[in-house]
Amino acid sequence: MNVSRFLGYQYGDLLLAWIARTIRARYKQSLLGGLWAVIQPATAAIIFSLIFTYFVPIDTEGIPYLLFSYTAMVPWTLLTASITDMVDSLVINMNLISKIYFPREVLPIAAMLARLLDFGIAFLVLTILLLFFQIPMDPFLLFLLPMVVVIQLMLVLGVGLIGAALNVFYRDIRHVVGLGLQIWLYASPVIYPVGRVPESLRTFYFLNPMAGIIESYRDILLHQRMPGAYLLASMAIAVAIMALGYVLFKRLELQFADVV
Amino acid sequence: MSPSVEFLHVSKRYRVGQWLPSLREALASRGARDPSQYHWAVKDVSFSLEPGEALGIIGPNGAGKTTILKLLSRVTYPTQGEIQIHGRLSALIELGAGFHPDLTGRENIYLNGTILGMKRAEIRRRFDQIVEFAGIGHYLDTPVKRYSSGMYARLGFAIAAHMDPDVLLVDEVLAVGDYAFQQKCHAHMDRLRSQGTTLIFVSHNMEAVRRVCDKVLVMYRGEKIFEGSAAEGVIAYSDALREAARNRSVEVPEEGGLAERIMTFDAEIVRVELLDETGQPTTVLQAGQRAIVRVHVVFHRDVSSPIFSLIVRTVDGRTVYDTTTKWQGIETPHFRAGERCTAVFELDICLLDGEYQLGVDTVATDFSHYYDRLERAMNFYVEGARGAQGLADLRARFSVNRIMSSEEIP
Repeated sequence: MNVSRFLGYQYGDLLLAWIARTIRARYKQSLLGGLWAVIQPATAAIIFSLIFTYFVPIDTEGIPYLLFSYTAMVPWTLLTASITDMVDSLVINMNLISKIYFPREVLPIAAMLARLLDFGIAFLVLTILLLFFQIPMDPFLLFLLPMVVVIQLMLVLGVGLIGAALNVFYRDIRHVVGLGLQIWLYASPVIYPVGRVPESLRTFYFLNPMAGIIESYRDILLHQRMPGAYLLASMAIAVAIMALGYVLFKRLELQFADVV
Repeated sequence: MSPSVEFLHVSKRYRVGQWLPSLREALASRGARDPSQYHWAVKDVSFSLEPGEALGIIGPNGAGKTTILKLLSRVTYPTQGEIQIHGRLSALIELGAGFHPDLTGRENIYLNGTILGMKRAEIRRRFDQIVEFAGIGHYLDTPVKRYSSGMYARLGFAIAAHMDPDVLLVDEVLAVGDYAFQQKCHAHMDRLRSQGTTLIFVSHNMEAVRRVCDKVLVMYRGEKIFEGSAAEGVIAYSDALREAARNRSVEVPEEGGLAERIMTFDAEIVRVELLDETGQPTTVLQAGQRAIVRVHVVFHRDVSSPIFSLIVRTVDGRTVYDTTTKWQGIETPHFRAGERCTAVFELDICLLDGEYQLGVDTVATDFSHYYDRLERAMNFYVEGARGAQGLADLRARFSVNRIMSSEEIP
């Protein structure tokens, strides 16, 4: 509708229809529905809070650990849920791909955008937590927040497109991606602060674009400070991965229908 | 006018078997690889269509017909060659392939319509027409998983057909639905064509192809073996199958053998003679006289009670007369391999002047497949008919009687 006209994309309406279909199908015959969008990151945050508050106390610059980890867990859940959905998006719709032409990237992109609803719900709860813990907000910095989300989505798009396209050829990819996401969690400052990473390794550490992205969420929401240069590095890497993912996808797309 | 569809030296190669390509091979979309692991589904096929033209593609299973449709609809891409399509394309191939069973008819109209490339606003504009055409009014808000297969297909057809395509691909789907719906589909296709839509039609139904198409492409094992008029195409197709049968490279299908015109050559028609009343071979018959068709057959295997049939057609392929020994109630004997026989048909030539085509075939006793078939054994001419035009001589007798004014008109 207006969105698609704005995007100037002939298949914009299909993208919207497919997002709606995905969301409807997800919450059909589900009792808790949208609540799962919160339960998922909150459970992880609570478990890590118990560990890092009582067993292995960790310094989080005065922020309650629950808030500290939930702030990171919300964008992290967006990353894992959308990449997982994207990787499966082509394979579960092979009957369509082998029969009807439409731009194939619609399926993984819709899978990603459909997860934005969950992200929104989880973020709403994060806002409530921020108010509850009386964390001050800096209105100017809040304008930066959408930029961080966009950088993260570019990264997700790149990784998801590569995973989705390769998964059509080799189903091992889905397991590789699952394992990779677990490792990636520990390589990112989700459950621990960047401060615990040895100074000498910091530059290397920020080559992981999620490190800069998560740190930026915390900078803006918890510390009311401008994100450092690591956000620019993350942006450059995210753009590069997105470009690579798109080119690879377009290249492999020509053979999708032949691999049934 | 510039062509609406151009297919230029197109070839498509598929991988044979199940092995996985290496990552490097998957990325190299073109290039030389081990040829034994590939199979050419389409080999160097070219054709071009003007707007409003209708092309029929015929050929046995595995000839490459479906691959051509997939290439045209951009589901798959050519290994070599180039395809150009001017205007919007719609494919009646897999009706309702994009339906989600849990969504209602209404939701699926929008979903399927956008998958096919329509804008939401366009679908909204045609929504009532689509619902009306599919005849699903009462079930619009029912999930499509509760639809009958007929309703499902009707809705799928209605959505695809209301796209106002410039190029329409049709694959056998008209076999779905009841007779009334099929009539509706044909009428809709005729209407689209009269508006300048280019039609590409794949079918086993020769009558439908002859009726709908201006020209025909005959595919055989990935290659175009004929391009021309529908009537000539049907003959070329039959001859190609006969050649394959002669080379003994035919698998007898479980069913559908007759529709696909598979021949096994268990019996072979070696010669067909057309004789006039006096027993002289001829190709020119006098209207109203008798003629004899003698079919000489050799049996290559044991065959019990084969059926022999004879078909007379006009040169543009319309059937004038079609008969078989079975329909006539004639029991034929059992034949052993190596035996020969002649089947003799005596005919009254109740035809008017013109050129006709004689076809003969021999069929398994259960009509499951052909042993041999000559779509056109020969052409013959009829002459000497008087006082009428058309095909059949119905032997009219006239009387004209003046009515007196005092009589009552009966």
